[in-house]
Amino acid sequence: MPAPRLYHSEALTLRKMTLGEADIIVTFYTRDSGKLRAVAKGARRNSSKLVGHLEPLTQVSLSLAHGRNLDVVTQAQVLSNFPPLKDHLDAITKGLYLAELVDGFGSEAQANPALYNLALDSLHAIAKNPESDLPLRHFEFRLLTVSGLMPELYKCVECRRSLAPGAHRFSPNVGGVICLDCNPEEARIRPLSVRALKVLRLFHRGSPAQALQLRMDTALAQELKTLLASAVSYWLEREIRSNSLIEHLQRNP
Amino acid sequence: MTTEPIPSASPSLTKLIGELNKLPGVGPKSAQRLAYHMIRLPEVDAYALADAITAVKQSVVFCQECQNLTDSSPCSICADEQRNPEIICVVEDPLDVLALERTRCFRGLYHVLHGAISPLNGVGPDQLKIKELLARMADGPVKELVIATNPTLEGEATAMYIRRNLDRGELKVTHLARGLPVGGSLEYSDELTLSRAFQGRQEL
Repeated sequence: MPAPRLYHSEALTLRKMTLGEADIIVTFYTRDSGKLRAVAKGARRNSSKLVGHLEPLTQVSLSLAHGRNLDVVTQAQVLSNFPPLKDHLDAITKGLYLAELVDGFGSEAQANPALYNLALDSLHAIAKNPESDLPLRHFEFRLLTVSGLMPELYKCVECRRSLAPGAHRFSPNVGGVICLDCNPEEARIRPLSVRALKVLRLFHRGSPAQALQLRMDTALAQELKTLLASAVSYWLEREIRSNSLIEHLQRNP
Repeated sequence: MTTEPIPSASPSLTKLIGELNKLPGVGPKSAQRLAYHMIRLPEVDAYALADAITAVKQSVVFCQECQNLTDSSPCSICADEQRNPEIICVVEDPLDVLALERTRCFRGLYHVLHGAISPLNGVGPDQLKIKELLARMADGPVKELVIATNPTLEGEATAMYIRRNLDRGELKVTHLARGLPVGGSLEYSDELTLSRAFQGRQEL
């Protein structure tokens, strides 16, 4: 039996680009089938019933029709705008950073409900506390985890011995923490403080609520940002474009 | 193995198709159709098109005041003494100026940003004409800034960025009303549009 022409999905809108006179191509991350690009015909017109429902960083309920190249959005209904996310510039830029990572790590036609739920929860956390970087750090770590790329935090990735208490080193390309005795070839090594290791372990074993209650000083926040950004960029195989706006806003508050 | 170019009876036609194919929204088939249409055009029309492209590249510049595209700087709107220099309307695109001028309800001046902040596409504040706007605000007679960026996520982010960087306390900063489009329908409106339409409701 042929697949039905119309189908429904629940999704998070990641980005949109214009197509022709009044159409847009929207990139979604759907709960049931991973990343999806679809055409919304006429959606740039004010009179379109789709206008407003397909803005980036919106959780939507979708009806789609299978198309020859791209599927076509036939109906869309907002489920959540993550209020008050869109009223705060810092929250919007952090939300777009999250969208870029979901776009980069998500695979087409491959469902990952854990990633979908993580993105929604993280957007709510960003909306709740727009000035804090902690929701993004937690999201980056959990993103690696739900993508099957979690860095090793309990044993040295080279000698496989349990880590002794104290400072260690971290290498994104070797896959986690390296003890002070090991020097694997071609490892891009960064120092890792005990405090940063404890936070990463809390991100792994603790609940999101526990993780998001952490209080960090500037040095620790900067160390975690550098470590996690290096791991995320390594797997993404490119720099994260939207990071430059976050840094611009932090330099010019 | 080397790929040999497909032989063409007319290299100049192939070149024209290639150039047309670079235009936004023009695929290879449309480029072919346009090129064959141009061949069939009367000579005078074809040369008029070529001359228009040449002229626009040679004479269009940014207006030193509003950054709109113009043949002479300052542009006709900025040079018009009948217009109110105390109100500036900020828009994303030169086409937005045309749309607002069609309404005939705004008699102030404009400032064109040439885009909106879009970090996913690598467009940050430094790629837009925001610095020029802030400089204009710092030493001009402006009393009100109307931010008319598009009601999209990028447009809203741009408006918030401009608001954050304006440090003149006495300056009135407004933005265009958000709400229902004429001819629209409540049933199909999204919750953000409806809630903003409610916030901006007016007495009948």
